[in-house]
Parts: sequence; structure tokens; C-alpha cells
Amino acid sequence: MSTDAQSGEDAGVEPEPEESEGPPMPQSTSETPSYDGEFDAIVVGAGLAGSAAALTMAEEGLDVIMLERGNSPGTKNVFGGIMFTPRIRELTDFEDAPKQRFVAQKTFSMLSEEGDATEVSMQPAAWKEEPHNDSWMVLRGDFDEWFAEQAVDAGATLITETTVTDLVREKGAIAGVETDRPDGRLHAPTVVLAEGANSLVSEGAGLAESQQRTDVAVSAKEVRKYDRETIEDRFHLTDEEGAAMHYFGDGAVGDAVGGGFIYTNKRTLSIGVVYSIEDAVHDERSPDEVLDDFKSHPAVAPLVTGGRMIEYSAHAIPEGGPDAMPDLVHDGAVITGDAAGLVLNNGLHLEGTNMAVESGYQAGKAVADAVASGRTDAAALSAYEEAMNDSWVIDNLNHYGWFLDAAAEDKEFLFDDLPRAIADAETDYFRMNDEPKTRHTKSARKRLVGAMGGYLGAAKKAWKYRKLFS
Amino acid sequence: MSAQPKTPDVEQPSIEDRLYTVKYEDPGESHLDVKLPGICEEKCVTQDCVSVCPANVWRMEGDDGVPTIAYENCLECGSCRWACQHGNVVWEYPENGSGVSYKYG
Ligand SMILES: Cc1cc2nc3c(=O)[nH]c(=O)nc-3n(C[C@H](O)[C@H](O)[C@H](O)COP(=O)(O)OP(=O)(O)OC[C@H]3O[C@@H](n4cnc5c(N)ncnc54)[C@H](O)[C@@H]3O)c2cc1C
Ligand code: SF4
Ligand code: SF4
Repeated sequence: MSTDAQSGEDAGVEPEPEESEGPPMPQSTSETPSYDGEFDAIVVGAGLAGSAAALTMAEEGLDVIMLERGNSPGTKNVFGGIMFTPRIRELTDFEDAPKQRFVAQKTFSMLSEEGDATEVSMQPAAWKEEPHNDSWMVLRGDFDEWFAEQAVDAGATLITETTVTDLVREKGAIAGVETDRPDGRLHAPTVVLAEGANSLVSEGAGLAESQQRTDVAVSAKEVRKYDRETIEDRFHLTDEEGAAMHYFGDGAVGDAVGGGFIYTNKRTLSIGVVYSIEDAVHDERSPDEVLDDFKSHPAVAPLVTGGRMIEYSAHAIPEGGPDAMPDLVHDGAVITGDAAGLVLNNGLHLEGTNMAVESGYQAGKAVADAVASGRTDAAALSAYEEAMNDSWVIDNLNHYGWFLDAAAEDKEFLFDDLPRAIADAETDYFRMNDEPKTRHTKSARKRLVGAMGGYLGAAKKAWKYRKLFS
Repeated sequence: MSAQPKTPDVEQPSIEDRLYTVKYEDPGESHLDVKLPGICEEKCVTQDCVSVCPANVWRMEGDDGVPTIAYENCLECGSCRWACQHGNVVWEYPENGSGVSYKYG
């Protein structure tokens, strides 16, 4: 790894506006906090959920302090990815946000290990119109910094390079946090836990249980730099249009529940793999090798060849669904975002950014009401849990909660047999020879039905996965 | 369809080259450890901490069955913490924001 003085960027490269450092963070300091008892709420983590909560509470007039372990918000964070922005757009002047491209085109491809690929591609005209279906490719380094700045502008205090190590309890209720700063204990009537997937504080304080490894995914990602024209030519893009490409099957991540992705930024591609830790420990390849194999697939290599790797990264994703969620509300504390397991990953959707922001916003509103009422016990904070239960967040998680379990059960069929059967069926169906097309169709059908375990098996599978499309 | 067309070359960087792209501040001491070396040695046959790690931090180098930990490679993804079925990974954040700093993320 390079030392502190070097960053991934070589010297002498032309300046890139998209990737420039943001303005210095106002009020940001790494001095020892001396704010004990000064605040209505402490936010643990200045990621998406944390900044949404801090912004909401500051706008409601609360004195808020955000503690972030990175030296700037975003420096510890990694995602794919697409930022889903319905709530952020309401909360901020979103035109000013550092964005890359909007999603103009989405593809889903099934890859076999042998090199076959079957792709479904969509580009609804509506996505090209404002607000672009609220789906923007971003890079977290500058996006998270900007979002935290919106909270600071609204009046929140941000302290960086400070890790929360534990919660402080008084008479059973949570009453503040311990940090790794000298004299770093801070008291406040409420704590918003927005610490992300690796929720050491919530777990350490007994508010959440550690997840099973079947319910957490590992990811490995690289950001590669190209000419803007190369990206626009390869993916058929103009202006701010972007492409979000998703890949499944054993040509993407081996015999594992998960997938690969390519997202187009302005001058970089985000290329990565995400798959269950349970599968990762059984794969002979390490995640970086899985990433290399994915990049080398004949359907992927032409899109990613060339360029220069400017960053490698890795991060975990909680994907246990509704069953793995901790209680959202406690005496003096609420849990938001990834720390609360609020991620939807069902193959077609990988959504955590919108859920993190929505939960931070709802938590912020509930905390503001509780503080105003002078009571911050679990009952007083329960409006947060109620708002979440009534929202699309929990609705979506419940609707798709079954998917990853079903996919794990049918792993071989879905990610190994099916991609090959589809490729073979396509080969038969479109075959050019002197046989009549009816015969091609018949043998194509036979291959597909065979892979699904006969007509009865096909009917059962169709029934099992029907909710993905309903 | 299974016939292999000529596929363009893609870069397959070594893990060292990959890690070289990440800005890193050494906390000076390891933020990772094993709780009880005896468990790695006697109970664990799968070494899942080694298999899951995307940064080659955990390694089986000696023959005592206890992994060595190149903590300065760590990308702080947390995966080893869940991977170990014996609850034997000690995992803390490197102090005061040291460790990795991503520029792009
Ligand atoms: C590879 C990958 C691809 C993804 N792709 C997508 C996608 O395309 N679209 C999508 O919507 N979602 C995607 N997600 C999920 C999405 O990134 C998360 O759901 C989202 O970032 C969660 O936001 P958060 O605020 O809860 O957590 P985070 O963004 O992780 O923020 C947590 C913050 O807390 C800080 N912190 C943690 N512990 C402490 C502590 N003890 N003290 C102080 N600070 C602390 C961290 O440094 C961090 O800044 C992806 C995730 C991954 C890993
Ligand atoms: S998986 Fe756990 S028990 Fe096994 S070697 Fe690694 S740390 Fe030790
Ligand atoms: S946190 Fe991630 S990168 Fe660090 S040692 Fe564990 S698995 Fe490896």
C-alpha cells in the first residue's frame, strides 16, 4: 500500500473536475471534542444515513454533533453504484451534488463459465427526463463529503477522525458515547447509530446481534480510468447518460449467490463483484481473483479492457432482509441504514442508499419530536419505527425477504444450470442449418424444461419466483 | 455459442498493485487479532478468514495452524469478522481514522 503522502493518482495527469477535492469542510475539526452535554443528539457515522439524520435534526432546530471515523466523510465508504435520490432531492439543492451520470440504460446479463451471455437491456425514454428516475451514478468520496456539508450548513457540527468505541448508559438508558479521543466521552439525550454494515458499536452495546455470514456479502471493486470518449463509445452514451450493467451466473461470480457490475462514471468505470460470504469461504479463489475472472469473461472484457486502475476497494453488504433486522428503537437511541440491515438485494434490485437516507430522515424527525417533548425513551422514539413500518422501505424488504434464501437453495440451478441451458437453447433456437425451425424450437424448449426439472419443476420454479415480478 | 471468440486482454493486477492504489495511514499496531490461537490451531480446519479476505491480510504461513495477519493490507471491509465460524477474530477500527482512505469509493 502507498504511504500517506501518495494517493492513487499519478502526478502530472490532467485535472479532472469530477474528481477534484471539495471545498474545505466548514467547522470540521479533529481536535479533541469538548462538547460534553452540549448537544441534543449524537450521530455515529457521517455516511448517508448519518448525514440525512443530522441534516433533518439541524433543520428542526436541534443541536447535533456527527462523529465520523474517516478523515473526511466518504473516505471509508464504498458502494457500486447507483445513488437512489428521491429523498435527498427533497432535502438538498441536489443540482449542486457531485454526480457522475444518470442511469439511462440498465442491463441484466446471465453469464456462463464457458463464455455464453444472454442479456436483457432496457432504456425507457422516461429515464432521460428529469429527475432521471432518481438514479445517479456517483463516487462516494466526493458525494458523502458534499452531503455531510449540507448537514453542517444547516447547523450540525462535524468531528472527523474520531471513532465511537462504545455507548454510555445511565439508569439503563443510552445517554452518550465513548470515543477514541482523550477524554472523548460525550453525553446527549439521544444517539443515532448510522455506522454502516460493520456495526461494531450497536453490537458491542447489545442493541444488535452479529449477522450470520449467509446474510452478509463481501465485495471487491476497482475504479478504472479511461477517456471520456472511450466510455461513451463503448456504452453508447451521450452527455450525462450512463449505463448500469448487472451480471449473474457462474461466469460472473462462480457458483455463488451474487453478481458482478459495471457502472459508468464520467471518466471512470466502477467494476466489481458482490457475493455471499458463505460462498466466498468455499470458493478457492479470493475475491480479487473472482473480480479478475469476471473482468475476463468474453462478454465483459471488451467493455473494461485498457484503462488504468486508480483504486481498489472492498466493503461488506448486509443482506439478511427483514429477519435479520435489529430493533430500530431503544431507550435513548435509534439505529438507521446498513447498521439496521436496511438493504434490498434480490438480484434485480441492489438498493441501500435510498433506505439509508430515508431511515436517517425518519429517525431525525422522530428524535426532534422526542427531544421537544422532553422524553427520549424508546416509547418516545417509537414514531421512527412506526414511520419505517408504514414506509416503502420495510414494505420492500418484506416483499423480497424470501429471495436470497430461495436463491441460496436453488443456487446450482439459478447460477450454473440455467445460464448454460439458456445459452444452449438460444443456440438451438436460432440455429442455421437445413432442419425446419419447428425442430429448433422443440429442442430449445426441451433444454430449458430439462434444466428446470421437467414441466412440473418449471411450474414450481415459476411459482416460487413469481413475486420477483409482482 | 460456446465457441470462444478472441477476448481482449484485461489487466489482472497483483494484490500488491491493487493495494498500492489505496491511501493508507499506518495506525502503528494491528487492529486485528485472533482471540485464542489455540482455536485456530486445534479447532479450525477451514481457515475461512484467509479465504474471504480481499486484501491478503490473513495468511497461513507457519505450520502452527495460526494465521499471520498483515494488518497494514486491511481494507476494513469487515468480512473476516463474519467469516470466522469460531468467533475468533478480534476486530477493532484503527484509531483516530487511520487505516485506509478511499478517494473514489
Ligand atoms: C459493493 C457495493 C455496491 C453497492 N451498490 C449499491 C447501489 O448500486 N445502490 C444502492 O442504493 N446501494 C448500494 N450499496 C449499498 C449502499 O452502499 C449502502 O446501503 C449505504 O452506503 C448505507 O449507508 P449508511 O449510511 O447506512 O452506511 P455507510 O455509508 O457505510 O456509512 C457509515 C459511516 O459511519 C462511519 N462509522 C462507522 N463506524 C463508526 C464509528 N464507530 N465511529 C465513527 N464513525 C463510524 C463510517 O466511516 C461511514 O462514514 C452497495 C454496497 C456495496 C458494498
Ligand atoms: S477462521 Fe477463525 S478460527 Fe479459523 S484460522 Fe481464521 S481466525 Fe482462526
Ligand atoms: S476487514 Fe476485510 S480486508 Fe481487512 S482483514 Fe478482514 S477481510 Fe481482510
